[in-house]
Amino acid sequence: MIIPITVSPPLSTGGGSKLPPPFVKVSHEEIMLIELQGSLNVKAAEPGDRNGKLVGYLRMDETGTKPTLEIGHHLLEGKIVQLVKPIAVLSRLKIVDSDKLEEQGEGESTGTDKGEEGGDKGWGISAVVKRKIVFGKRPMPVAQ
Amino acid sequence: MTLQISLKFSPNSLVESGSYRLVELPVDLCNVIEPALNASDPLHLCIKGQRDEDAVLCTQDKTYSLRSVVLSNTILIVTPSPDDESTSVDIRDQVTNILELAPCVPKLQKLDSLLKGRVYDEGCIDVDDQVVGNKVTYDDARSSVQASDSELALALENRRILMINGELRPIAPSYLHHILELLLNLLVSLSLSHDAVSINELGLTLAEQHDVPQAVTTQVMAWFGTIDGDKCRLDLTAIVREIGLDILRNHRHEPVDQDTLLAKWRSGVGDSYESRLSLELLLGNYVTLHPSISSAAPVMKYFPASELPIEPQTRFADLFLARSRWTHEEITPFLTDIAVDTKERDKLILKYCRAITEEGTTWYMARTQYNG
Repeated sequence: MIIPITVSPPLSTGGGSKLPPPFVKVSHEEIMLIELQGSLNVKAAEPGDRNGKLVGYLRMDETGTKPTLEIGHHLLEGKIVQLVKPIAVLSRLKIVDSDKLEEQGEGESTGTDKGEEGGDKGWGISAVVKRKIVFGKRPMPVAQ
Repeated sequence: MTLQISLKFSPNSLVESGSYRLVELPVDLCNVIEPALNASDPLHLCIKGQRDEDAVLCTQDKTYSLRSVVLSNTILIVTPSPDDESTSVDIRDQVTNILELAPCVPKLQKLDSLLKGRVYDEGCIDVDDQVVGNKVTYDDARSSVQASDSELALALENRRILMINGELRPIAPSYLHHILELLLNLLVSLSLSHDAVSINELGLTLAEQHDVPQAVTTQVMAWFGTIDGDKCRLDLTAIVREIGLDILRNHRHEPVDQDTLLAKWRSGVGDSYESRLSLELLLGNYVTLHPSISSAAPVMKYFPASELPIEPQTRFADLFLARSRWTHEEITPFLTDIAVDTKERDKLILKYCRAITEEGTTWYMARTQYNG
């Protein structure tokens, strides 16, 4: 079995829009990696309910070195960390296809055929990331 | 001024989950990938492996083993929101593992099992059509052997595998020996220089006089020389080596003494090329046994590295079964195909051998007894 991987500039895989200015400097113009201790667990009645929902607010100070993340009443302080080895971000090519994105936004049925069809086109590498934002500390409570 | 942006789940987060992977890149691979990200021509890599094998990642010329490492943290993959790129970003996926790559030796041994029973020998042309089914094409081999394209191409050449009508057929060693001897003879009798041999002329002569199909001759010449247009520059040393190997191959069980082997080899090669003969050419393919009577000449046995197991532990066990102790020079040719570089090879030696020094010579002996 061969799974093809295509390395090509981001534009050809349907990307193109850039991150807000201070975050562009983190590592890559279009993708950033945010590391959290633990994970984001969302309770949702329907699996699709979290689509497009707000998680929290991400802030960056003017020096571009102190990111913070506010989720509900919790504030996380983070830092920008150089990765030991550069990381390539692989994405399933079908999903990145911009036409498909719009279609999938409408219905839920597309969720099922993701695996089969996505596998045919293989994967793409459109970014190599060298730094990430790490939120490694315990959250602080925030009084609103 | 502190900038605030909203962090959201992407509108398709359910569909997209699982559609991202993070791969840690070794420096050399990073140097290949980064320029490709700005180039107009896409670069193609691939992941190869059957369901029961460990996957490998192949570039054009290298193979890397893939290993998934679980992280205790979660990494969010965040991209700009398509509709509102200045004030919000989307979480496209969450991953809790990362793929690590390490350079590895291509798993070419599978090629042998794949091509078992497909040997191409003299006279095969006539019965060719009767053998239907289990044909192995280049694409079959490419998809099931875990090796990059150039490593596979090199392996096909090193294993002397012919491409006949799109099918892969390993050539029978004795047949190859025969063709090579014919080639050398023709070079002498037609007084051709080995630097620029006309492929067509030689191919036609061999086809007419000795019934060797031209397709076979052409490929054999490509193995033992460099083709430039319609001329071929033959590598005589390689040809001489192959002839020697085939003579040695007959002595898998009955050892042959060195002088007899050399004499046979000389007569096979012919007077004109005798000077190129050297036992060094056969390194990694024979084992020298010193008979108990010290006056007798050392004897040699065919013992090819390519047929030894790939697992280091079993390979060393086999090596020490063949001989109880080895010098560094003797053992290294048998380890080159299981270690990527000399550093790794020496690490293996350290791990599996016990070194003792006797009268200035270092001998390696088995570290443990493999009695089961």
